[in-house]
Amino acid sequence: MTVERAPAGGEILRMEHITKRFGAVYANKDVNLDVRAGEVHTLLGENGAGKSTLMNVLFGLYQPTSGDIYVHGKKVKIESPAQAVKLGIGMVHQHFMLVEAMTVFENIILGDEHSRGIFIDRNARRKEIQELSEKYGLEADLDMPITELSVGAQQRVEILKALYHGCEILVLDEPTAALTDTEAEGLFEVMDKLKSEGKSIIFISHKMREVLKVSDRVTILRAGQSVETDSIGDVSGEVLANRMIGRELKPSHYEKVQSEKENVAILTGVSYHRSSKHNGLNDVSLRVRRGEIVGIAGVDGNGQSQLAEVLTGNISPEEGSVDLMGSKVVTYDPNGFILKNVAHIPEDRNKAGLIGNMSVEDNLVLKLTKDSRFSDGKGFRLKWKAVHDYALALQKKYDIRCSSVKEEARNLSGGNQQKVILARELEASPDLMVAVHPTRGLDIGAARFIHDSIIAERDRGCGVLLISADFDEILEISDRILVMFEGQIMGEFSGLHPDIQAISVAMAGK
Amino acid sequence: MKKGKGIQVLVPVISIAASFLIGCIIIAALGANPLTALQYLYKGAFGNVRNLGTTFSRATPLIFTTLCACFAYRCGVFNLGGEGQFIMGAVAACFVAVATGIKGPAAMVLASLAGALAGGIWAGIAGLLKVYRAQNEMIITIMLNYVATLFMGIVYTNWLRDGSVPQTVAVPEETMLPSFFGMRATIAFPIAVICGIGIFYYLFYTSSGFQLRAVGLNSVASRVNGFNVNKYMLMSFLVSGAIAGLGGALELLGTQLRLINGFAVGYGFDGVAMALIANLHPIAGVVVALFFAALRVGSTTMQTATGVPTSVSDIIQALVIVFTVAGMAMVKLPGFQNRLIARAQRKGAKA
Amino acid sequence: MSSFIANLILATVRMASPLIFLALAELYEERAGLVNIGIEGIAAIGSLVGFMISLISGRPGLGVLAGAGVGILVNMIYAYATISLCAEQIVYGMAINIFAPALAAFIYRVYFGSGSELVQANLMITLKQALGIQSDNFFVNLFLDQTPMVYIAFLLVIFTGIFFTKTRAGLNYKAVGEYPKAAATLGINVIGTKYLACVICGALAGMGGAYLTTCYSRTYVDGNIAGRGFIALAAVIFGRWSAPGVLIACLFFGFCDALQIRLQLVNSSLPYQFFQMIPYLATIIVLAAMGIRKAGPKSAGQPYRKEER
Repeated sequence: MTVERAPAGGEILRMEHITKRFGAVYANKDVNLDVRAGEVHTLLGENGAGKSTLMNVLFGLYQPTSGDIYVHGKKVKIESPAQAVKLGIGMVHQHFMLVEAMTVFENIILGDEHSRGIFIDRNARRKEIQELSEKYGLEADLDMPITELSVGAQQRVEILKALYHGCEILVLDEPTAALTDTEAEGLFEVMDKLKSEGKSIIFISHKMREVLKVSDRVTILRAGQSVETDSIGDVSGEVLANRMIGRELKPSHYEKVQSEKENVAILTGVSYHRSSKHNGLNDVSLRVRRGEIVGIAGVDGNGQSQLAEVLTGNISPEEGSVDLMGSKVVTYDPNGFILKNVAHIPEDRNKAGLIGNMSVEDNLVLKLTKDSRFSDGKGFRLKWKAVHDYALALQKKYDIRCSSVKEEARNLSGGNQQKVILARELEASPDLMVAVHPTRGLDIGAARFIHDSIIAERDRGCGVLLISADFDEILEISDRILVMFEGQIMGEFSGLHPDIQAISVAMAGK
Repeated sequence: MKKGKGIQVLVPVISIAASFLIGCIIIAALGANPLTALQYLYKGAFGNVRNLGTTFSRATPLIFTTLCACFAYRCGVFNLGGEGQFIMGAVAACFVAVATGIKGPAAMVLASLAGALAGGIWAGIAGLLKVYRAQNEMIITIMLNYVATLFMGIVYTNWLRDGSVPQTVAVPEETMLPSFFGMRATIAFPIAVICGIGIFYYLFYTSSGFQLRAVGLNSVASRVNGFNVNKYMLMSFLVSGAIAGLGGALELLGTQLRLINGFAVGYGFDGVAMALIANLHPIAGVVVALFFAALRVGSTTMQTATGVPTSVSDIIQALVIVFTVAGMAMVKLPGFQNRLIARAQRKGAKA
Repeated sequence: MSSFIANLILATVRMASPLIFLALAELYEERAGLVNIGIEGIAAIGSLVGFMISLISGRPGLGVLAGAGVGILVNMIYAYATISLCAEQIVYGMAINIFAPALAAFIYRVYFGSGSELVQANLMITLKQALGIQSDNFFVNLFLDQTPMVYIAFLLVIFTGIFFTKTRAGLNYKAVGEYPKAAATLGINVIGTKYLACVICGALAGMGGAYLTTCYSRTYVDGNIAGRGFIALAAVIFGRWSAPGVLIACLFFGFCDALQIRLQLVNSSLPYQFFQMIPYLATIIVLAAMGIRKAGPKSAGQPYRKEER
């Protein structure tokens, strides 16, 4: 490789005054970052603070609106990921860039320039990969198809791939978000090894504990701007946290309750694809009472999606039963659950929540077109005027920001899209609400609004099942906390005085 | 979103203009005067009541296949089998009109119903395979087009053959659809237009039509929100097939009177093209079908008067679709959208 | 071996060859994430141009080359619209299916005038004819009495199979169809690969069309592709997006076509149209029997945008 090794501790990368604008929105504004050889440099910031944008600029996926990048002190223009790779920059994205239809081996050698031959020299390539994997303690079964690997193993493949392509600077974008604690520990060990070999790591996270643990220096991004760079040791976690969100970190905003009211949903011994660790349910029993929020904590992909799908009638369990409002569910179909007054804030709002190409008003009355308020003769003649007035009222009530309620829903920002869904679901005055990652990817204001609405709905008497991989969100609004791991419920905890230590242990499956 | 609607009309209009421009260049290259040729084209299509009637008459089957495509695509179903469904409708109508001995208005109604039913069933085969076997409906419906064409061949060469000529016996005079205002066009034309209006009403003013559109735009979200996606998909096959089948029946009873080699060739794909140019709007679809029919009728006059072959008009039609679809994709590109927004903002700032 | 079966096998190879060209065209396209239902149309224009050049020059081989050339040209319209403008691939394929045959029909009318369907061109000679072999042995016929196009078709299958499974370029090419964003991060030129796919697809589809007028029939008539472009689509699905699979599927559909021609000759009591239905019905039945298993390149049918947010 042509990349020269920088002297230990010397500057290897500098990004100066980076600005990236999308339309009228600044995702990055005058951001500065410098990375030294052999350090773990953390980019700290909340969701939407501009961390990913900055890294995409570094990786050539986005072109900066203005600003300069220097690698080894030389000014460079990174116009494509290929160029970034040539400059020794590797990146492990939050959503892995692995081709599922191919094996580990094939994924690693994709696009490789190690030989100029026409054919794939499997033996030579294998040897190279195995050397790397031993050097850094990155185990990988080269002949496994990607689909059969756990999330942690896929991540190892990604790191191996970056190393194989000769990276000196490795960007890890929220690498622990989908890992168990044990897997995260393993990752930290790998990071140590990389560091000792002189590689630099840009570590993106918003988890304070691990940031303090692994970083040498920290740069904080807030609302698209870099706030400050500090060496760990100079600052405490609390100071960092305050700088990150720009205000004091408070325990919970909300009053926790202990509901004694009747059950709105009871799951008894529900199983679905029992043998699948990541996409199944194994003998799940739980209940949700009126007027309480039950939070399901756990790392993504431990059966939470399937739990939500069972409770909204999208899949039927293979074993066990579900009782809704005191009666047993016989057939599982979404419409039946809707008629039983179950509201659903789905995991993927674009795919399952909204009809993106329909207008905001269409989406608000999606389930109501046969309602006598909006049509004559059970849907025979739609009253568009009534629909429009209703939409305007909800737009105001839920503070949905759009140029017009006739605008297509896909053009709205994530927060406003979620508000459209929330408005539609809450206006039905549900008895049970299943909310899956309700604030994922939203800014603080929108997330706060959604939490306020869910709490208000609880106080009205709705039972809420909150599924979230965001631990802070679970702690913030749950009255009771259940932990899921590999399709099983690992334990129940109080939401009022949560035992964080015990919950983390349960999340790791212990 | 008035801006968006404006562009939706503008794209086809610009595409048509560009296509005519290229058409004119071709005409000039063939040694004729483009303006004279276009003049004859216009005269041939709209010049007098008789020609206008011919245009209406030619438009009728195209309207039906266009509506067939519109309806199916609104539900996200790529029914490319309009031609086969149209043919099966005509074959069924032919049996009723020729082989049952029933005559007069009763036969007209029965034959039309039989046609709609046959078209619906023919599309339903693809529908069942799509819904229950997750099959690619495009390939299946196209294969069924060929099967239908061959089946019709059996009918006119064997079962209902008219003596030595490979064509069916003609529909009896009593069963022929009446024409109106002394034009060539029969009542099939107003029926086609009424169908268009009916589908428009269904899609945009009923709950069921609303849900069908939702399914077409996002089937996952539709299912999650409680709509019976399979029901709508199957229904869209059946109804779009029935529309095409009805068209086939009326074409037989009103215009063609016999099944013969070449009956309905290309109508299915033409319908798809027109539906796309009309952006799947049923009433716009009627207009586009009329426009294309006018091109076809007028081109015959153009050929006799100037010697420019009628296939020039086919090229123009094909270019319209090539340009329209590309144009519609272009205006959806983020870059284009951003420019649009930026321009709107500049205008806003000035005002 | 009875002459019926011998003839059937020989005809199968001959009928499968154009399908192989068309199915490989689609395979290259889909492996790069593009679904092109317009190959029927491209084959139509390739067929006409192949016929004309063959007629003018008297050299069918030149006709095939011209067919490939015009196929590439027409497919560049599809390429620009779907790759650069991100038009819906299915819709644009339909547009090509309407445009290309109309263009072919127009050129034919302008060049030959109307009502001149008797114009006949030379067919490509077979290896047996070239070598002057007189034997009528079945194996001689099977292996030697074939036009160069048949050998090219089978060689292309072998080449394609090796390309996708053994070569670095093939692996990178497949990555574009599976996960273009990941491919781009590894320095693979996604847009370039997609355009390349369209060049290959256009050339092969044009050749497949030209086959019909240089090796199969001496004349060009509108609609002579007769759905082979669509059957090729089914062959790619049936062949699970692999070169050997596509070959088997094409041989099967070619067999159906051969069978119907043979049966027509043998049986005269049933209307011939019944037999002509066989390839189309076989396609439907095969697809239906395959059931819900979904495979194929992940990104097929989806537009690829560079700076996405």
